[in-house]
Amino acid sequence: ADLKMSHVRPQDTTIDKELRAFATQVTEATGGDVSINIFPASALGDYTTVQERISVGAIDMATQPAAAAADRRMQISSFPYLANNWDEARKIYGPDGPVRNVMAELYAKQDITMLAAYPVYFGGIALNTDPVSPGDPSQSNGIKVRVPGIKSFQLTGEALGYIPSPIPFSEAFTAIQTGVVDGVIGSGAEGYYASFRDVTKAYVPANTHFEVWYMIISNGSLAELDAEDQEALKTAAADFEAQRWTVAEEDQGKWEQRLSEELGAKIVDLSDDELSAMAAKVREDVWPVVLEDVGADWGQGILDQIGK
Amino acid sequence: MDTFSKYLLTGLICLVALGQFVQVVTRYLLQIPVMGLEETMLYPTIWLYILGAVNASREDTHIRANVLEIAIKTERGHTVLAIIGEIISLTVGLWLLSWAWEYTQYAWRVWKESPTLYLPTFYSEVALVAGLGLMMLYTAVHLFRHINALRAGAAK
Amino acid sequence: MIEIALLAIAVLVLTLTLGVPLPYCFGAALMIMYFLGDVTMKGMMLWGSQQLGNPVLLAIPLFVLAGTIMSASGIAASLLNFVNAFIGHIRGGLGVVAAVSCAIIGAISGSGLTGIAAIGPLLIPEMEKRGYPREYATALIANSSILGLLIPPSVTMIVYGWVTDTSILACFLATLGPGLLIMFNFSAMNLWMSRKFDLVLDDTPSFSQLAGDVAKKGFNATPALLMPVIILGGIYGGIMTPTEAAALSVIYALPVGFFIYKGLKWNSFLDAGKEAATAVGAIMVMILFSMILSQMFVYEGIPQQMVSAIFEITENKVLLLIFINILLFLVGMVVNDVTAIILIAPLLLPLMQAIGVTPVQFAAIMGVNTAMGGVTPPYASILYLGARIGNVKVTKVIPPAMILILTGYVPVVFLTSLWPDLSLFLPRFFGY
Ligand code: NA
Ligand code: NA
Repeated sequence: ADLKMSHVRPQDTTIDKELRAFATQVTEATGGDVSINIFPASALGDYTTVQERISVGAIDMATQPAAAAADRRMQISSFPYLANNWDEARKIYGPDGPVRNVMAELYAKQDITMLAAYPVYFGGIALNTDPVSPGDPSQSNGIKVRVPGIKSFQLTGEALGYIPSPIPFSEAFTAIQTGVVDGVIGSGAEGYYASFRDVTKAYVPANTHFEVWYMIISNGSLAELDAEDQEALKTAAADFEAQRWTVAEEDQGKWEQRLSEELGAKIVDLSDDELSAMAAKVREDVWPVVLEDVGADWGQGILDQIGK
Repeated sequence: MDTFSKYLLTGLICLVALGQFVQVVTRYLLQIPVMGLEETMLYPTIWLYILGAVNASREDTHIRANVLEIAIKTERGHTVLAIIGEIISLTVGLWLLSWAWEYTQYAWRVWKESPTLYLPTFYSEVALVAGLGLMMLYTAVHLFRHINALRAGAAK
Repeated sequence: MIEIALLAIAVLVLTLTLGVPLPYCFGAALMIMYFLGDVTMKGMMLWGSQQLGNPVLLAIPLFVLAGTIMSASGIAASLLNFVNAFIGHIRGGLGVVAAVSCAIIGAISGSGLTGIAAIGPLLIPEMEKRGYPREYATALIANSSILGLLIPPSVTMIVYGWVTDTSILACFLATLGPGLLIMFNFSAMNLWMSRKFDLVLDDTPSFSQLAGDVAKKGFNATPALLMPVIILGGIYGGIMTPTEAAALSVIYALPVGFFIYKGLKWNSFLDAGKEAATAVGAIMVMILFSMILSQMFVYEGIPQQMVSAIFEITENKVLLLIFINILLFLVGMVVNDVTAIILIAPLLLPLMQAIGVTPVQFAAIMGVNTAMGGVTPPYASILYLGARIGNVKVTKVIPPAMILILTGYVPVVFLTSLWPDLSLFLPRFFGY
């Protein structure tokens, strides 16, 4: 079978190379039965559209964030300050983690099978201006930042003392460059390096959320493979994920370093106390609202499993 | 109908302009951008596009490249050409309409919500099938008009 | 698969030639891809209509509406009078006024039609009265009208930036240099051509008369002249996104048209709104289906196949650029600007990048070529509108139009391709 797989980053980026290696592995493991064609840079549409097209069987596969348009409970995946460090992240999003399990169920409701989770990074804040008391969320710092049109990010931006401004991604770069806003929330070091590198003067690694992408396949496309090939695909995906967990943390550090060394961006050093204060503020301000949105009982049930 | 479409279309386009204007004012002067304004504006925007297109069908002012029309000299030739054009439009349009219908059924089944205010997006998605349906209706009207003109011409 | 894609394009051109409305021409091409090429239509409507929701596109109806209001309101007339005060009395000056006024109007409107629609009805009779042949005046203003697409803001550059994921602000700046050069060409050509016309000229005013006239008309034109300042200043000054600037230009034009120039009445306002909405609706359904076709091509890897097919013929950069300009000229003869960009830009951008042409320079190449397409017969929408406004036969307008195209556009088309600095200087200066 000839499968088409979409992802959101440009050609030759880390994920692009990793997916190409994955594709090669799948072809070898299936003795050439399955070949995967990679479409980088959202060439098949942005991730929300692609998820829907996978759901109806128009595109086979993707590795990308979860889109919550069809089911708002999917927001649990990018819930702010759910994990505080890489160990917690692995417990929550890694194999058999509570969020990952529930995401697999939610995908299944959309006729999609989740093959793997792909940990990307902890999110932060990129600024094109000097940070103003970046470690103190208790007061407004007056900096306008672009947030994606997703409620939890908007509320998180506000809780951390910024003035969130919802600007579409397509206009975001220009908006920062001309000074309509002075920064961005919603991505991490690697994402900012990829899309905003010319307008990043400072980076605040505030661990706003844990960015995790999922490798997903349309149930229809999966069903067309014979049992052996399905097994080979799933094994390759599990290897792909396991491999990523071993390098993700280091990878994140590498991108922060590139922001600093190549672009001369100032990487703000936040103390553990400052990070806890931010997490506490967001939990207090944002969680009740977002929990209400996804269904308080359902959401709390998952938080209970995590122990929060 | 003409007055109605004038008010409707002008109203929609002004609403859309106003929405963008409010965004600038609140962000720049008041420093408190309105959350969810963008997703709310999607509804009048999509309906503006689609109803504008329906009106283009009604007025028969869709963009066309009338290359052959310049070469053909007779009135009758023009009418025959127009009939061929409308038949092609109708065939292709009905095929597209069937896919728009499929899309609408999907949108109905999935019932998506906007990211901040959780507004159902179905009400903008349904514009496509409604618009294409109306466009086909007007195309059929134009087709009959041309056929009648041809008959009248032949009778003379 | 590339054969099916070419067949789909052939069907597109055929239905186009028959005079089928553009959205259905694309629909016919989709049917070829679906029935003969076996490319799925599943989820395509979903994809296409979500593309339409992109707020970047919203700038299009708003810039078009600003242009329509401008023609209806007397804003354009005040600009025209102002420019006329400087050079109206010089031999051939009125023709220069036409080119320069269209350029200034271009800095407000995003469409190539506004210039001819707004100042054609005023200037064509005036130019005829002063001894310019009517068909020449019509051809000159129609040709200059296209500066609306080259001087920012521009609908075609918004669409280009959107389909190729290039900074729209950089694209705006890329066509500005070539646009100004074309304005200069038309002005120079006009001065040269007018030697042969039997022109009635005003007496040369004394310096004080001239200064007084300029001051008075300048004062009158100030609210109009502020529009480009607000739009371009707002965008490049970091106050607004292009879409928001487009909205502001509408909000600003309304009171100026109603209360300052008083040309705008309730009814003409309603007409302007309906006209803009209808024009935009027609563009948007066309965009919807052309985007789906373009997506089918991407889905099947057609752009990459095309690049390798073309590279088998030649890899010479200059030859390829000349070839592409000829191709774009042919496309421009039969297709309108937005269509040409949606279809061609994603197909050729990989090729351009492979031969070292940046997306921003390619924006200028596409911009200049597709703008010129508006006046090249057989499908010359702007020239035909000009003929209607000027009340002259299309066949009469074509010869003077061809002279202007050959002297005004064609040299700039080749310069834009072969001299990257022409289009890249301004974007670079602004840091893109
Ligand atoms: Na313009
Ligand atoms: Na043309």
